[in-house]
Amino acid sequence: MNLQEWSEKLLTAMINADRSAAAEIISRALAAGNDSRMVIAEILDPAIVKLGRLWEEESMSLAQNFVAAKIAEDALMRCIPVYEERLHNKGAVVIGNIEDDFHSLGRRAVGLFLGAAGWDVHDLGNDVPAEQFLEKAVEVNASLIGVSAMMQTTALNIRKLRNLIDAQGHTGRIKLAVGGAVFNWRPDLVAAVGGDGTARNAVGADELFLRLQSEAQKGVKP
Amino acid sequence: MNSYQRVMGTLTGQLVDRPPVFAVLGAYGGKQTNTDLRTLYSDASAHVAGQKALQDEFGFDLVMTAFDFSAISEALGGETAWSIDQAPNMRRPAARNAEDALSLPLPDPEKSGRLPVILEGTRQLAAIYKGRVPIISVLPGPGILPSLFIGMEQWMETVLFDRDTACKLLNHSGHFFVAWANALLAAGADCLVVTEGMASAEIAPRSLFADQILPHLSSTFAQIQGPKVLHHTGGRINHTLDLLSGLDGLVGFGISSKDDLTEARRLIGPDLNLIGNLDNLTLPVLSAGEVYEMSLASLRIAAPCGHYILCNSAADIPLATPPENLRAMLAAAAAYSSETGCRI
Repeated sequence: MNLQEWSEKLLTAMINADRSAAAEIISRALAAGNDSRMVIAEILDPAIVKLGRLWEEESMSLAQNFVAAKIAEDALMRCIPVYEERLHNKGAVVIGNIEDDFHSLGRRAVGLFLGAAGWDVHDLGNDVPAEQFLEKAVEVNASLIGVSAMMQTTALNIRKLRNLIDAQGHTGRIKLAVGGAVFNWRPDLVAAVGGDGTARNAVGADELFLRLQSEAQKGVKP
Repeated sequence: MNSYQRVMGTLTGQLVDRPPVFAVLGAYGGKQTNTDLRTLYSDASAHVAGQKALQDEFGFDLVMTAFDFSAISEALGGETAWSIDQAPNMRRPAARNAEDALSLPLPDPEKSGRLPVILEGTRQLAAIYKGRVPIISVLPGPGILPSLFIGMEQWMETVLFDRDTACKLLNHSGHFFVAWANALLAAGADCLVVTEGMASAEIAPRSLFADQILPHLSSTFAQIQGPKVLHHTGGRINHTLDLLSGLDGLVGFGISSKDDLTEARRLIGPDLNLIGNLDNLTLPVLSAGEVYEMSLASLRIAAPCGHYILCNSAADIPLATPPENLRAMLAAAAAYSSETGCRI
């Protein structure tokens, strides 16, 4: 079986939310003599990218996304030498649900994917005040803050963080990524709350954060 | 024809003077009476005053018992987060995982936490409105209810990776679901709206819902002696509608703004009711004219078959929604009635 075929099998397991089947595929791919780096780059990553496309087409559920995040984490743990090399080499990020928001599942999936992709994730949890986000970002020297909100009412609280970032002179140096169900339903809210970008799902978080990190390094202001 | 007659007539396929119009207004009642939300959701009389103010101001075809799921998580031993501009939410669940939740004593609807407040509010609404305006109670569906015991992430983890324990927790929590539903009906609710998140496309795939949740939904619904509407919770629900039509006591579906009304009608057949599906998120930002046109468009699609109630989709209408936008929904129903010769 070639790497593409392994990847397609892994994607099927992800779509079927079959965590044990996915683990078996990774084990067999490694046992077949594939280098763990190749397993991540040629089997896991393409499956995740295709999964993201399926989400864009609205044919994936939160449950499947959650399972996919767990599968990605499992796979990386099985490829531990490479995982450790990748660990934290992209930089620090701070994530959390904004003040008054308690819908953690999407944020947890984002954290898993970002960790798997090599970010040093500082997850502040639910109901996080704007001040705490910024304090942590400054403390760990993060150029990215990822804020999640599920509902419009709570999403509007993100504006406080935008104002705080700007008021303390971090505009352009600390980028604000926003996400959650409400932003998928109303993309105009991203600009309304002062977000620098969004991803429709956890799978797309790595790509978004890389882009925002690049902008932060160049000091691009919104 | 009063609101009760209009709604019951619609639900049973009789001629009515105009399509009924619902608006999910809970916290908005506090705005009308200048009552802070902690008081509104902790004091039965404050909630009833809010509903009465809304009824006097707008005259929608329902009054609602408190739409507050944090009262359930709190009654279980969880912690509640209070907000100044939205209904309270669960801050922390009572149990850390499904195994722990199995040993949690189930709340007593008449004694635990703020549940008696909701029942007392229902009784007060019934004393005022019974037979004039339908009294609607909203409660979490049996498939999503365990998330109030252990949080959504733990519940998803259990459903996906530990099916046996998930089944045990569904059975355990199902006893409370049935008791709570019947308590609301006994207190005076005319109809229950059951928000079943696991039935929505955004939360769970159809196969997972059909295999693990639907049998539980069927068995619990059969134990509740009253009319029930199954609600989408916020995500699309058309992908499971064909599985649900035979549920005991089911009179209709609340569908999302992203569900196609025509397709929903095709899936459920002619006799069940559709409720929806104005986009909740746009209500604060659209003009009254735009809300009117959006409402009229939905009515023209769904009302000709009867068995249709115009309503916002999702949960509480945001407090920032201007009153004139709410009135536009009612104006659209009146206009539709005029253009179709009054009776539908």
